[in-house]
Amino acid sequence: MFATFRLSMTWLHTWFGLVLGYVLVVVFFFGSLSVFDREIDRWALPETRFEAQPMPSFDEVLAPVFRELEPHPDDMAATARRVIGPLPDPGTLELASLYAYTTHRDPVLLVGGEFGIPNKPKDASDEHQHVHGWATIDPRTGTPLPVDRLKIGSDFFYPMHYSLHLHAWNDVGYWIVGFAALVMLAALVSGVVVHRKLFRELFTFRPRKQPQRRLLDLHNLTGVVALPFHFFFALTGLIIFAAIYLPVSDKLLKPLHDAHERLESTQTGLPLEPAGQPAAMASVDAMVAEAQRRWAERGMAGEVGLLFADHLGDTNGYVSIYRAGTDRVSLTGEGIHFRASTGEVIRVEPPAGVVAGINDFLTGLHLQHFRHWLLRWLYFLGGMAGCVCIATGFLFFVEKRKQQHAREGRSGARWVDALAVAAVTGTLIATAAILVANRLLPEDLPARGTWEERVFWLAWLGALLHAAWRSAPVLQARRSAAWAEQCLAVSVLAVVAVLLNWITTGDHLWHTLTTGYWPVAGVDLTLLAAAAIAAMTARRLWSTTPTWEPAHA
Amino acid sequence: MSTPSPTAPQIVSRVLASVLGGYGFVWGFAAFGTALLVAGGMEYHEAWTLVMLLAFLLFLGLFCWAFAASSLARVWTVLAGGGGAMTLGAWLLTRHLVS
Repeated sequence: MFATFRLSMTWLHTWFGLVLGYVLVVVFFFGSLSVFDREIDRWALPETRFEAQPMPSFDEVLAPVFRELEPHPDDMAATARRVIGPLPDPGTLELASLYAYTTHRDPVLLVGGEFGIPNKPKDASDEHQHVHGWATIDPRTGTPLPVDRLKIGSDFFYPMHYSLHLHAWNDVGYWIVGFAALVMLAALVSGVVVHRKLFRELFTFRPRKQPQRRLLDLHNLTGVVALPFHFFFALTGLIIFAAIYLPVSDKLLKPLHDAHERLESTQTGLPLEPAGQPAAMASVDAMVAEAQRRWAERGMAGEVGLLFADHLGDTNGYVSIYRAGTDRVSLTGEGIHFRASTGEVIRVEPPAGVVAGINDFLTGLHLQHFRHWLLRWLYFLGGMAGCVCIATGFLFFVEKRKQQHAREGRSGARWVDALAVAAVTGTLIATAAILVANRLLPEDLPARGTWEERVFWLAWLGALLHAAWRSAPVLQARRSAAWAEQCLAVSVLAVVAVLLNWITTGDHLWHTLTTGYWPVAGVDLTLLAAAAIAAMTARRLWSTTPTWEPAHA
Repeated sequence: MSTPSPTAPQIVSRVLASVLGGYGFVWGFAAFGTALLVAGGMEYHEAWTLVMLLAFLLFLGLFCWAFAASSLARVWTVLAGGGGAMTLGAWLLTRHLVS
């Protein structure tokens, strides 16, 4: 189909890069924000603006929380659709397993569990005969956060990054992101093939040349300077969700997988099923103390990151305690498993083998549980470089073709440009809008979190419609007015968000900076920096646009 | 030698080959690779993890090759044929290992 390898790679880079670029810029942007997801949560939920807390006492604080925990209404609704018959009253359901999860950046704790249900599934291969419940609690007191509070960072921006919040058609969003990741890898490889002078391009940026030249220079520069980063994140993203993308263990290899699971259960001493004999839980705090003692003995003293208990109230019950990965890249966990009824150690996870060790390290690099603020900021900048690379890709595509399209009366360049506006500045507008809504909506508004999400989607839709409307000049090979206008909107919204934080919480920048409360100061400073860049861009765009002339007949 | 501009059916076929054909081949690789390693004595999760570490790099290679290759017929034969053969192999091997 193509005369040379280089031509085939150019075609691949151009067309797959264009189509999936719209997805990728969103994935990269929200991925970058997700580096600071918990800090964004602090900004959005002022009641959680206190210092990070370690895992609290299970016996004193968490046990009462789990006694009160009920199935989440969202999951009750979702489960009702996949089982036969009506579900029992949620208040009557018993917890079958539970977990508590925290990291070095969390003031509030995530807890949850599975409740057994008697209903049979509609689909015989569906093995999940339970409903989920979850809550976010203050570990100092055990009080839960109101259910309709949205953790804008960790529960909105972060899932956007890997699923686009598209759960229809069997979570198609995950598949779109996965395919985009594969295309990212192909775009990087093909990009290198197409632009051969890799080393020289690190130092090539000719801002005084024609727009097309300087856009391509910037595209190459941002692609090359963080090339290992971009490649690495796309690849590890795919590896992290490998079980979703290549579910061989659930399908073709299921008999082999299940046989192994049963064998492993006998070898590890961790039962797969409850015995049906009741037994009370021993002191979990004693188990935690024992786990921490053993980690310290191995020279890796640490905090508890994840606490998990299965087959609750049963003689087969066990408690698994995993170490928080604050001081290392690898997500090893160093799990220690205890018999729930007696507190004796059933099993200590052995050191990871070579393959598991490589996987733990690679996924650990992507998921960043470690405490290393410089590296986190470098990740953020790398992600932003990726966004600039993709955005300049769009702009170059349009610049290269708009003269020709204008002459031939084609509108392709116009629509590519309009969609690019929506994907780049539109995303920024929606992000700033949800933060503004977060501060403006009444505190006692029911389903407040849902309303915040609606504002986000509406703002994005508005940006798309505005971009489409204002892109007519591209048909005459001129610049769409939408770019400058949306940059101005971003700038205004970002400043408004910072002001609203001051007005509604009193935690203005002078206060947060002098008391060293970095999560909120960081978000405010980043918003102001974004506002400044957006304002300068708008000004620059307006000062270089010739006066708009009416189209000639 | 110059090739004429690619036609729409050619483009569609290449894209389908790279995406669906590539996926089918990688699926077969994942299933057969895991089963083969387990048959060779590796523990299941270790085998699966090793295969997953390689699978996406393989997909990347196949994806680019589907566009670079001169013969589309060869691309389809390798991807569909190879993927099918490995899937069959995985199924047979699983039945043998579990019995």
